[in-house]
Amino acid sequence: MWKAVRVGAAAVLAAALAVSAAGCGGEEPAASDEKVTLSYAVWDKNQVPVMEELAAAFTKDHPNITINVQLTPWADYWTKLRAAVTGGAAPDVFWMNGPNIQLYADNGVIMPLSDKVDQAKLDLTVYPKALVDLYTFEGKVYGLPKDMDTVGVWYNKELFDAAGVKYPADGWTWADFKTAAAKLSNPAKGVYAVGANLAGQEYYYNTIYQAGGNVISADGKKSGYDDPATIEGLRFWTDLIKNKQSPDLKTMTDTVPLQLFESGKLAMYWGGSWNVSEFSKNEYTKTRVDAAPLPTGVKQATIIHGLANVVSAKTKSPAQAWEFVKFLGSKPAAEILGKKGPIPAYTGTQDAWLAANAQFKGKIFLDAVSYAVPYPVSRNTAAWNDEEFKQLTKAYTGEVDVEAAAKELAAQMNALLAKE
Amino acid sequence: MTATVTGTADDVRTAVPAPVPARRRRQWRHRGAEAGWAYLLIAPTGLGLAVFYLWPVLQTGYFSFTEWGPFGGHEWIGLDNYRTLLADEEVLQALGNTLLFALLGLLGIPVAIVFAALLNRPRLRGVSVYRALFFLPVVTMPVAVAMVWRWLYNGDFGLVNYVLSLIGVEGPHWIADPATALYALVAVCIWASLGYNIVVFLAGLQAIPREYYEAAEIDGAGPVAQFRRVTLPLLSPSLFFVSVLSVIGSLQLFDLVYVMAGSGQAARANPAMPRIQTVVGLFYDKAFYTNDRGYAAAIVMALLVLIVVFTAIQFRLQKRWVHYG
Amino acid sequence: MADRRRMTGTHLTLLLGATVMVIPFVWQLLTSLKTLTSATRVPPTLAPDWRWSNYTAVFELLPFGDQFLNTALIAAARTAGQLLFCSMAAYAFARLRFPGRGLIFGLFLSVLMVPPPLFVIPQYEIMADLGWLNTLAAVIVPGLFSAFGVFLLRQFFLGLPKELDEAARLDGAGPLRIYWSVMLPLAKPGLLALGILTVLASWNDLFWPLIVNTDPEKMTLSAGLASLQGQFQTDYPVLMAGSLLASLPVIVLFTVMQRHFIQGIAFSGNKG
Repeated sequence: MWKAVRVGAAAVLAAALAVSAAGCGGEEPAASDEKVTLSYAVWDKNQVPVMEELAAAFTKDHPNITINVQLTPWADYWTKLRAAVTGGAAPDVFWMNGPNIQLYADNGVIMPLSDKVDQAKLDLTVYPKALVDLYTFEGKVYGLPKDMDTVGVWYNKELFDAAGVKYPADGWTWADFKTAAAKLSNPAKGVYAVGANLAGQEYYYNTIYQAGGNVISADGKKSGYDDPATIEGLRFWTDLIKNKQSPDLKTMTDTVPLQLFESGKLAMYWGGSWNVSEFSKNEYTKTRVDAAPLPTGVKQATIIHGLANVVSAKTKSPAQAWEFVKFLGSKPAAEILGKKGPIPAYTGTQDAWLAANAQFKGKIFLDAVSYAVPYPVSRNTAAWNDEEFKQLTKAYTGEVDVEAAAKELAAQMNALLAKE
Repeated sequence: MTATVTGTADDVRTAVPAPVPARRRRQWRHRGAEAGWAYLLIAPTGLGLAVFYLWPVLQTGYFSFTEWGPFGGHEWIGLDNYRTLLADEEVLQALGNTLLFALLGLLGIPVAIVFAALLNRPRLRGVSVYRALFFLPVVTMPVAVAMVWRWLYNGDFGLVNYVLSLIGVEGPHWIADPATALYALVAVCIWASLGYNIVVFLAGLQAIPREYYEAAEIDGAGPVAQFRRVTLPLLSPSLFFVSVLSVIGSLQLFDLVYVMAGSGQAARANPAMPRIQTVVGLFYDKAFYTNDRGYAAAIVMALLVLIVVFTAIQFRLQKRWVHYG
Repeated sequence: MADRRRMTGTHLTLLLGATVMVIPFVWQLLTSLKTLTSATRVPPTLAPDWRWSNYTAVFELLPFGDQFLNTALIAAARTAGQLLFCSMAAYAFARLRFPGRGLIFGLFLSVLMVPPPLFVIPQYEIMADLGWLNTLAAVIVPGLFSAFGVFLLRQFFLGLPKELDEAARLDGAGPLRIYWSVMLPLAKPGLLALGILTVLASWNDLFWPLIVNTDPEKMTLSAGLASLQGQFQTDYPVLMAGSLLASLPVIVLFTVMQRHFIQGIAFSGNKG
């Protein structure tokens, strides 16, 4: 029935075109385009409005494709996504991150995009190389970078002033950091220089690479935790705890570093560019804090990460889904994103983001891209991430010497990597 | 799933022997019709229990012999999960913690009896007010209870440590310190279920006829002897009920630890976590966080064994000390 | 005289106990009205800053109205279902004769022995197959059936005098009529006890709702509150505001119906 109506409509349309064709020449009707709705899964509630804005912009150019933005909070995103993939109901397009990309690519859950990139003659050098590499698995690209983030030092100007310490600036070193840390700490008053959070991305991954070490070898086959330089990067944090320049793990379990920082009990907070939204909203931090680059160790390093948009391997509309992902990776999309969201990954589109967050020195996060190190991942990142927690907790509490803990971690991680 | 017994009151009902129905004097004319009605009346609950409870238990048993892929699908691996389990420090530690929770949780019983006995004093005024105040934590959502206590226990800014500092004691980081975390949690369990236990004991005490005490007094028994010879034996059914419930509740502890110690990454960074992780907490983590459902099923089968053994022991001991009047 | 003194001692002990029970709630209320900075002051201050924005922060992050409604609907549906289904089965077990009664009752009881975690993986699969994940039905439906409820009410029915239904039977009433017009009206205290226990258990339940409904709009208050901690981590004033809001409805209900609550609990603990 429906088909008959469509055929009829097409006939009428064809007749009309035949009449008008004489006047305006041969624009081809997009009769082959069917109406489809693509589901697009995201996890950040704050970004839903801008995602919907992007979806609307896309639909304007592609009237036959509607986008349904689906929010799943971060805490459940991966669990639900796995369940959906298992049940054959994966979203057509969805957000992907570094720790998960290889697992999804390796299991054939997401579609390789290299051929399509070549066909469309897309230039991938517009994105930071570290991010393109992150989403490349066995020589094939699986996602187009959406946004990016790097890590810097957020500092409390009030506490720096009170201790008579100069604000951190470009080119400061580990030695500078340690001198400042000693002056800023006042354990008797419950004030510490920094919270040595047991977290990789914002904390020890950075110092590991700054010390010249590595978390995982470039081929993703060997742990770097038994490298002496890596151990130095870890010792950076355990020493801070030992010297009472950072609260211990127990204190940070009771009250996490973010809240300690937001109540004036930490002078510095190692955080990402993503923290701008939190710190500009929070009443305490919005006037008191600013950002600086991470201190330089043996070398300068910061962890870069970013999300990518990927296409489900089982999508019923692969062409349309690719069209949408291509749009999301384009310059106009990046410009929309930058105004309201995180830093867009597309080089040269970040001014809007800087302007939107002008109260902080946001530029340090962009400058960091030049020396940034990709987020360390392998095929089953989650497995050894668990091991990192298990072994490093012991080092941070002082139960086990940091060197012994790191070596044990390397052994366990190598065993897990061998199984991948 | 919690220390507050309401959620698990289910489990203990088996404790009580079912009275045998009295002989029937009269039948409906058609026995067949009677049976038909009976099946019809039982059908909704019977089918519901079969589909959502009995069949799943069998399936979980089956899953415990399988390994799950990252994106679903599972394959039979025989006894591998159980072999891993017996050598898995994390699981053994969780089993040990859970047993310790169960045993220490029993310490709440004497406290409840003391308060119930005080409330049972004749001519005491304000009983209902006291009872309501003690009962408040029982009706409060366990997640909320856990959050409040997490805050009270805060090592640097918590009320508990402030009160201690007034008497010159420097309190630890209660729930982040491996040395204190388990005891701190047990205290919350006891606090949260105290009101429930008091109400059960109070009802038990009120059922004891005054004459028994009077008779004991005539025999020259003092308050202690009265308590031992009259109160305890007559209270023993309530005591048995509460202790079985307490043990089963503790063996299934989840909410409090999930909220107070954190879950996912937060739990992993908590240095006290290995000392307070419970079997059900570990099960949740494996089944719904790391997606290792076959192994999770094996862990929870171990819990079933534990519960059956414990309940059996309690029933065996029951014969020695519980008096049904 | 000695009795007077002993009475004073009793009151003092009870007061001390009651204080320990109530102080956490007072502290929760006070903290919920402070800023983070003043809540983390050492030594702590009593006076709140009247910072009501902690409460609005909860509403901004959680669809609190939806979650309240979900929780209430789930509790109502589970309770209504259990009261009906359990009393039907309980009546059959208590008063009717049929082949396999012992066996079926034994199977019911066996469900009581099994801890909930043993059900959840397959239950989750069932819900996924039905497409019920993130629906209220996923939380309600398994909660309609309760072996505990059947057992509790069966015990209650067994305790009722036989003469009443015998009389009705002589008048020619069928099993259904007797169940509905004779037994149910007599079983009101038992039904009330089961109802209160079910409302309480349902309102406060975390494990299953946490697993099966991850969409904030479909969550129960318990799971929503737990997710608040995932978002705000250790921002205690906001957490205290949220936990107070979430537990308040049942506390209010308890205050209003105190006598029934306590009788219900005492009943379940001593009857049976």
